[in-house]
Amino acid sequence: MVSGKGGAGRSAVTAGLALLGQRRGLRVLAMEMGSPGGLSAHFGTGPLEFEPMELRPGLHAMQMVRSDALLEYLALQLGIKGLTRFGPFARAFDALATTAPGIREIITIGKAIWEVREDRWDVVIADAPPTGQLGSFLRAPVTISELVPSGRIRTQAETMQDMLRDQSLTELVVVSLPEELPVTETEETLAWLAKEDLVSPPTVIANRVLDELTDPDTPPGPVGEAAQLHRSLWAEQQIWLKRLPPDHSLPYLHGVFTPGEVAARMADEFEMFT
Amino acid sequence: MTRTVLITGAGGVGKTTVAAALGVKAARSGMRTLVVTVDPARRLATALGVEELGNEPQPHADEPELWAAMLDASASWRAVATRHADPEVAARLADNEFFRAASEHFPASQSYAAADQAATFVQAQAWDLVIVDTPPSGGGIDFFAAPAQMADLVGGRLLRWITGGPLPGRRAFYNLAAKPVLRIADSVLGSDLLERVAEFLLDLRTTYDGVAQRGREIERVLASATVFVVTTSDPAPVREAIKFYRELPGLAVSPAAVIFNRILPEGWAEATAPPGTSVVLEQNLARWAAETLRQRDTREEFSSRYGAHIATISWSPKPPTDLDGLARLLDDSSDLPWEAVGMRAG
Repeated sequence: MVSGKGGAGRSAVTAGLALLGQRRGLRVLAMEMGSPGGLSAHFGTGPLEFEPMELRPGLHAMQMVRSDALLEYLALQLGIKGLTRFGPFARAFDALATTAPGIREIITIGKAIWEVREDRWDVVIADAPPTGQLGSFLRAPVTISELVPSGRIRTQAETMQDMLRDQSLTELVVVSLPEELPVTETEETLAWLAKEDLVSPPTVIANRVLDELTDPDTPPGPVGEAAQLHRSLWAEQQIWLKRLPPDHSLPYLHGVFTPGEVAARMADEFEMFT
Repeated sequence: MTRTVLITGAGGVGKTTVAAALGVKAARSGMRTLVVTVDPARRLATALGVEELGNEPQPHADEPELWAAMLDASASWRAVATRHADPEVAARLADNEFFRAASEHFPASQSYAAADQAATFVQAQAWDLVIVDTPPSGGGIDFFAAPAQMADLVGGRLLRWITGGPLPGRRAFYNLAAKPVLRIADSVLGSDLLERVAEFLLDLRTTYDGVAQRGREIERVLASATVFVVTTSDPAPVREAIKFYRELPGLAVSPAAVIFNRILPEGWAEATAPPGTSVVLEQNLARWAAETLRQRDTREEFSSRYGAHIATISWSPKPPTDLDGLARLLDDSSDLPWEAVGMRAG
């Protein structure tokens, strides 16, 4: 699962990891959990659908759709069949999901976990909600267990909790930027995760990291202005990189135009990580 | 007459900084100005003189016409209960597990709270200009939809469906059509979860008239506001900004400008390094020139495709930490529609 502050580059990192897996010959499912747009742009495709589509050999991608996921969840995990997407139950349940805590989240996370348990994929990579919503999302199985004293959904929730906590099954990546707000939010997220013990400690990736300019000269004109700007930005980034040392850094991609190019460059970088 | 400016856009693009910078400029031009922010960076909060979270506007110690308030969205949401329900129901709501969850997780709750507070400040008529830094959810679009969504939650299609229309009294009598489905729901969710949700919704339902009326007031304030959309040149925030041109017509507030933040000097796009420049510096110019070009292309495409008024703010490597720094941020922004916020360019 890839999370991070909004705007830090979650979708790009998700797409890059998926491409890396595909290059290595793995059967990959990339999953957009939040609102549509980010992940599909990075794959250079049109809108994704709930049914995984093969984008290139070995790489599938899908968009989470709550009403579809709910019906699938009811049919496959709870054995309740014959409900339709626009029927009364689905509508009422959808309304309930906006009111009762944990329901919406458990349907989403339940879909991801279902796909992990299936034998169709070697790896499922999820573009997960931003860190601001990660807490209620990861905590959903616990919330359900607290609210619901019995029932099949509770049994399912307990299984999910175990799978999330199992380091060999679930890994969390948090994408951050070397700036004040993203670093502060990442620190808060890490502290919360350590306290709640819902998943194993995440991998922190700092995105858009500038390298140090090795020439100290500042000639007149644009050459010197660009050098000055770069040095100032670099110095500012260093403050935040020291405060929160990342496990990995991704470079600032100057002048890269399309989201597809960004994802490919990310996959290149990940090759060098390992 | 109080002017209202809404600063919207995706998270991380510098909305709060832009709101604060505009506020300083306005205050220094003689307007009594209130800047309303949600969760600012600490250095910015310090610059604005609002270190304490609280909904009460405070005047700035060094800038008498500049006021600031930092919103506590969860407190504002609780105010919905105290303002619109009778005391006994309000107390029961405050204790309710679903109410707490809804105030924290209902997607529109932070946006509603911010819109409600902002409207309160505008209606107070105590300032010439109220600048609102909106929560980033939905790229700012949520802010406009929040009053209606809140009324919908409280008015409750779920509640109507469970109870079968008109208010039946404290105890929910499930309607007949719902019965078979409720049996399924009970087996899935455990016995009484739906009933507990229904009871909560019945309490919340008593606030409906108040919330709906307040929602219409808030919508009137939002509809008369000047909207700025802030973005960087990166694809993700630009996608959010585009929503204001694709999805907004129904909400009837068209942005006065799209403000591109962190803009590099135009001249760099065509600049080349003179002979004798080191390879390191030459390559550095080349990559920032490529970035300048990408930024320019992004702006030109946005303006030609959506006919938006485009304004720019130069990239300052160090975030401003005091009022002078904030004011300087807009020094190069002659393309901002200054008249729309009651100021003259420059």
